[in-house]
Amino acid sequence: MERKIEWETNLSAAISRAQGESKPVLLDFHNPN
Amino acid sequence: MDAVTYPNLDVIQFIRGHVVPVRLPFDAKPEADNFNVKWTPTLIILDHNGGEHHRTTGFLAPEELVPMISLGIGKTHFEREEFTRAITSLDTLLKDYPRSDSAPEAIYYGAVSRYKSTHNPQPLKEAYEKLRAEHPSSEWTKRAAPYRLL
Repeated sequence: MERKIEWETNLSAAISRAQGESKPVLLDFHNPN
Repeated sequence: MDAVTYPNLDVIQFIRGHVVPVRLPFDAKPEADNFNVKWTPTLIILDHNGGEHHRTTGFLAPEELVPMISLGIGKTHFEREEFTRAITSLDTLLKDYPRSDSAPEAIYYGAVSRYKSTHNPQPLKEAYEKLRAEHPSSEWTKRAAPYRLL
């Protein structure tokens, strides 16, 4: 298994994927600096 | 989170199996305003229609992040009135992470889910007794205190 989380970077895309997979969304607001 | 929690294999595996992860900068427009984000990290559990059901702010270690997500999943099912699925998620949290910071709230919502699905008040009273015994200082023990009278 790849040792990293494969983050979506677009909320609309994540919600569309969540609908297809019948899963909730984990939304992380972070400070990239 | 990037140094400790997100590289953890248990965290990676859990996220892969249970949620769709999305990461945005704290100043992303319009999302940061729409979700009223004022500090990082802010972690929010959404249902698959984008509705918010649970959030936390601040660092979480791996052994706290996984139960926090489980609690969010359980609350998502609860608030969508999917009580059987809520009970399953919350019971799994309590089996795997019984001493986590999310456990008291999971006990509370597990009991409420059982009550809402059966109208039997006994799980509420049992939840208070369990909270009092296992988490006497928790705010959720205080919130469940009226159930001792049932």
